[in-house]
Amino acid sequence: MDRRTFIQHSCALGATLPTLGTSLLSLASARTAAAQSASDYKALVCILLAGGNDSYNMLLPTDPDTYATYAAIRADLALPAQDLLPIAPLNANGRSFAVHPQMAALQSLFNNGDAAMVANVGTLLEPFDAAAVEAGRARLPVGLFSHADQISQWQTAVPDGRTSEGWAGRIADGLQAGNPANGIGMNISLSGSNVFQSGQSTDTYSISANGTGAIGINSYADGTGFGDYRKRVLDQILAMPQPHTLRGAFSRRLRESIENQQIFDAAMTQAQPFDTGFSAAPLSAALRQIARVISVRDVIGNPRQTFFVTIGGWDHHDEVLNNQARMLPQVANALAEFAQALKDINVFDQVTTFTISDFGRTMTSNGRGSDHGWGGHHIVVGGQVQGQHIFGDYPTLALANAPLDVGRGIYAPTTSIDAYFADLALWFGVAPSELDRVLPNVRTFYDPLSNTPALGLFG
Amino acid sequence: MSKRNQTLVTRFATLACLLLTACGGGSGDDASVPDVGVPPPTPPPVVSKAQRDAASRLASQITFGMPFEQLDGMATMGDEVWLDTQLALPPTFHAPSIEAILTRREAGEFEPFENDIEYLIFARRLAWWHNTITAQDTVRQRVAFALSQIFVVSDRVDTLEVYPYALGSYYDTLLEHAFGNFRDLLEAVALSPAMGIYLSHVNNRRSDPVNNIFPDENFAREVMQLFSIGLFQLAPDGTVLRDANGDPLPTYDNADIAEFAKVFTGLSFDGSNSFFGNVDTPYFRAPMVMFDAEHELGEKRLLNGVVVPAGQSGLQDIDMALDNLFEHPNVGPFMSRLLIQRLVTSNPSPAYVQRVASVFNDNGSGVRGDMRAVIRAITLDPEARAAPTNAGSFGKLREPVVRYVSLLRQLGVSSPDGFIAPLGYFLQDVSQQHPLSAPSVFNFYLPDHTPAGPVADAGLVAPEFQITNSNTIVAYPNFIDAIVLGDFVTDTPDGFEPASLNFSPLIDIADDPEALVDRLDTLFHYGTLSPELRTIFIDAIREFDDMEFRVRIALYWVLTSPEYAIQH
Repeated sequence: MDRRTFIQHSCALGATLPTLGTSLLSLASARTAAAQSASDYKALVCILLAGGNDSYNMLLPTDPDTYATYAAIRADLALPAQDLLPIAPLNANGRSFAVHPQMAALQSLFNNGDAAMVANVGTLLEPFDAAAVEAGRARLPVGLFSHADQISQWQTAVPDGRTSEGWAGRIADGLQAGNPANGIGMNISLSGSNVFQSGQSTDTYSISANGTGAIGINSYADGTGFGDYRKRVLDQILAMPQPHTLRGAFSRRLRESIENQQIFDAAMTQAQPFDTGFSAAPLSAALRQIARVISVRDVIGNPRQTFFVTIGGWDHHDEVLNNQARMLPQVANALAEFAQALKDINVFDQVTTFTISDFGRTMTSNGRGSDHGWGGHHIVVGGQVQGQHIFGDYPTLALANAPLDVGRGIYAPTTSIDAYFADLALWFGVAPSELDRVLPNVRTFYDPLSNTPALGLFG
Repeated sequence: MSKRNQTLVTRFATLACLLLTACGGGSGDDASVPDVGVPPPTPPPVVSKAQRDAASRLASQITFGMPFEQLDGMATMGDEVWLDTQLALPPTFHAPSIEAILTRREAGEFEPFENDIEYLIFARRLAWWHNTITAQDTVRQRVAFALSQIFVVSDRVDTLEVYPYALGSYYDTLLEHAFGNFRDLLEAVALSPAMGIYLSHVNNRRSDPVNNIFPDENFAREVMQLFSIGLFQLAPDGTVLRDANGDPLPTYDNADIAEFAKVFTGLSFDGSNSFFGNVDTPYFRAPMVMFDAEHELGEKRLLNGVVVPAGQSGLQDIDMALDNLFEHPNVGPFMSRLLIQRLVTSNPSPAYVQRVASVFNDNGSGVRGDMRAVIRAITLDPEARAAPTNAGSFGKLREPVVRYVSLLRQLGVSSPDGFIAPLGYFLQDVSQQHPLSAPSVFNFYLPDHTPAGPVADAGLVAPEFQITNSNTIVAYPNFIDAIVLGDFVTDTPDGFEPASLNFSPLIDIADDPEALVDRLDTLFHYGTLSPELRTIFIDAIREFDDMEFRVRIALYWVLTSPEYAIQH
């Protein structure tokens, strides 16, 4: 972005967003600095496990007393102790943990130091206080336990309201301010439009896991006579002046999308094929495409990129054991395949992959599965991640009167999503002074100007 | 979307591509060229082109598309008479179509096909498409679709996806009340089992303070925020009222939500032998019923100082709460703006909103909430009926679903078995829109979404741009390509016949490119095609000698152009 364009843009935005001006300035200069060094490239990859993953069966306590309590609470949903895959956290503090029996790939990533876990994280407006909840004076997230709200709040980081802007969108508003490199936005989605990457002035660039990813107009300029015809007529139509505001906006968006697809396609011809190393499962296919896009990061030219992919079907009110045994290995394997691919192209240190989900689920069973809960456990993978650690506090389980149990074995979060995302955003390059804008409630849980990280995901 | 459905989408998309490749060269079979030497007899010109164009424009705003052959009839009747005739038609309900499909399934007709369990999911989709495409009461169907984007429920909740009557009956509820009274509509929505599932007020229990359990607030919040009064106090013309600091004045706070949540306790599914909270098979074909033993005791404080007294039955409480919302001065302007946006224009003038809202407040006979009068007011308003201009900003981006249904209806879609059977996955995949399949209660797009750039700079909104991203805006022309060049008209499941379009009336006039483009101008642009684009179209289609291909390529250009994309 040149200075003139930037000033024009920030003035235009200033009319509607009076508080954004200074934010844009510092972020824009950060972007300029970033652009000068390709080695400064960083990417955040967000994997949404849509529906609410029952993560108390993904990361489990295994010291004998705790396991016995776990098994008693979960009853028919308890996984047998002998099937669990032990992990060796460096900060175990005398406790012991394991992962789901089908997640051997995660066990390896964790024990090799490539992955960390964040325990019992969830949406909060203030640190959980059982007495305050009891007294009815606690401030609780809007629509707690509701899919629509919670799946959105994990993407917006605004649990006290409803907004269509996500925290990656707010980052992009500051970093690229509607002026992305080569017309291709820094936020790329493998799952279409989403809240996480929606900003005020930024568009998500949607691609698919197939082919080069970007969709083009059929046969447009494909070298055939009909392709030439199609391009000639379409270009004529899109070159027409459009005095009608909405027609003009539509025409411009179509024209730019066709141009961007050509640029993106051209860039992707140089992408690493990664023909082997990834399974055909949907999440693997999506992460493969993301690895391919990252492999041409210098051609596309955005020094910062976020990627978003949804993998649905986690709302296991019934059949939770069978479904998790089928789906969790797909997550673990895809993460391991992705890590290896990024190592192969020497960019593993510059990419951090993390999971989010609507909520954890009830520890207690409904006789078929588990219901909507609150806190849950998550996975973070990356070369700069302080691997082999469990961040946050894994709760003390109890059959009755557990301090965090708000009923039915729903554990209130001990770590807020703000703390989780603060580490990710600061690593990504958001200036501490910018964090309030990206994560509006962050100060309740973390002082961005302090010299210590919120969780220490990156040491 | 289930994995199976993803596979279906992929399969259909692949098929469409193959078909396209087959015809992509544009060389046609001369034998198919009809004899254009004997033009069909034309009826006496009682209707002028201007009248016909005006009828076509009215149809684009308030129907799912009218074929050319019916425009003269509309024009002869005049806007008001034609509209009143439509408003008087009985609803074409969707549940009977679901029933017919399920009967076929139970008879084993779909068993030969892999996993016929999927036909439970298909049933409500097939019923929606077939009915919407073929129904005579197209105004009611269009308004119901608009309502379904305000009172949102979605098949992205598993229970609503797999029980076909859940969404089928819900849609019929919208059809039934579309031209009735808003108060009845609001109550039907509140008691709908589909809404009970979607916003989780089915089996919502009264407070249990000992165990720290409080009523679910999901529906209580949305019935205010989205289904009746909105977040902020409104002037009669829909503009937001502000305090001395310029901050918008809220209509309610969290304490109000908690009070309304208490009102919506005790509801569960109807059906024989059902009892609160323990139903194996939810019953979706009747409203939820009240189990007073699970209903919150004590008084509830509503808006504007109204108090529900303790000791009433649960349904009496709900009645009072819905009255409380219905009487709120916001409902008229709030609902009027949303409906105008779905039908006529994204940015109605405050005066337009106020005129419609005043009809909502009083239909002229002292009745509040008369939806028939509201739809008349929206459609016949001078702002809606003013001649369209190719400048300014009036109008809206056409929704993908409306575009698709309209082109099928306008181009004489038919199928050998008489059942028009798209599943809609193909459209949903390319456009991110499918009826009753929004990603959240906030619909496919927000009423105030504004794309960055000239639209935002002008202080305007354009909701439909929210699903018109770099991917979908390019995928849609390929969807049109599949239909008009590839003959992939409907993504039809096994057991149903694919549909086809009737190009003959257009082929009959294709020898004269100008006549063909003018016909399409009336049909799709209601006579507003700009001279520049008309010239581009005529030159572009003249390059082909095959009359049928000329028609097909003309349709491709018309249906993908920015001028058609915006209904103005």
